[in-house]
Amino acid sequence: MEEEIPKNSYTNQEKNDIFNNEFLPHITSMYNFGYRLTFDQDDAKDLVQDTYLKAYRFIESFQKGTNAKAWLFRILKNSFINDYRKKSKEPSKVDYQEVESYYNSEDVDRQITPDLRVDSLKDMIGDEISNALNSLDVDFRTVIILCDLEGFKYEEMAKILDIPIGTVRSRLHRARNLLKEKLSQYAKSMGYKNTES
Amino acid sequence: MTNSVNPFILADGKKPSCMEMLQLILDGEATAGQQEYFRTHMDKCAPCFKSYNLDNTIKELLKTRCCGDSVPAGLIEQIRNQISQNQAS
Repeated sequence: MEEEIPKNSYTNQEKNDIFNNEFLPHITSMYNFGYRLTFDQDDAKDLVQDTYLKAYRFIESFQKGTNAKAWLFRILKNSFINDYRKKSKEPSKVDYQEVESYYNSEDVDRQITPDLRVDSLKDMIGDEISNALNSLDVDFRTVIILCDLEGFKYEEMAKILDIPIGTVRSRLHRARNLLKEKLSQYAKSMGYKNTES
Repeated sequence: MTNSVNPFILADGKKPSCMEMLQLILDGEATAGQQEYFRTHMDKCAPCFKSYNLDNTIKELLKTRCCGDSVPAGLIEQIRNQISQNQAS
């Protein structure tokens, strides 16, 4: 059952003020999110435009002064899943049950952190970091974008993604380990044969 | 480890792993008590110290290297025009 959202009544002037002062300042973050989900500038542009049109259309569901950025990210994420992903790509095949079991196992601390050094990371001056992020499955990529690039709190991420906070944490944990594995591969290809510090 | 009670211990009594503690610290989700406990813990736990520096560096690099895309010219104008059209129709 869907949560009932109290409606607000805004004049046209108030709607425009909310749009200009609370929604538009996030457009760069929104575009970056759209681009990192789709890897296509036109698709990202369409996603952002669609998100802002929906935000304006449903502006009376938005409470002035609350977290506009999280609200907009939630709309964009839903548009991506419902419209873009459905028509263009097959859905994610990540088995979250497996991820949860894995996270809760005792192996989690000792085995996955690759022997990666801070020095080798700082020598990555090209696109390695970005490419490593882009190589992750979309659901893992998304939690890293929301947390590390955009600075959302776990509670906000849970609302944006419609998942429990525990799942946010476990997904982040797994995503970061996958990212480190990828960065470790790049470090080795750059000549860091022994990546132990 | 400090002598104080581990403030990361959950209501169900489960003791969190180093990585679970580290994640809360790095993501700014730890309480003041948890931060204090972890600072002391890290002095005596080499893997935590190493992971803290590494994970913190990755977090900073992600922020500086992956947030540079600029919004295409004209997009804001396009959105405004579309809203005006929708209102008129």
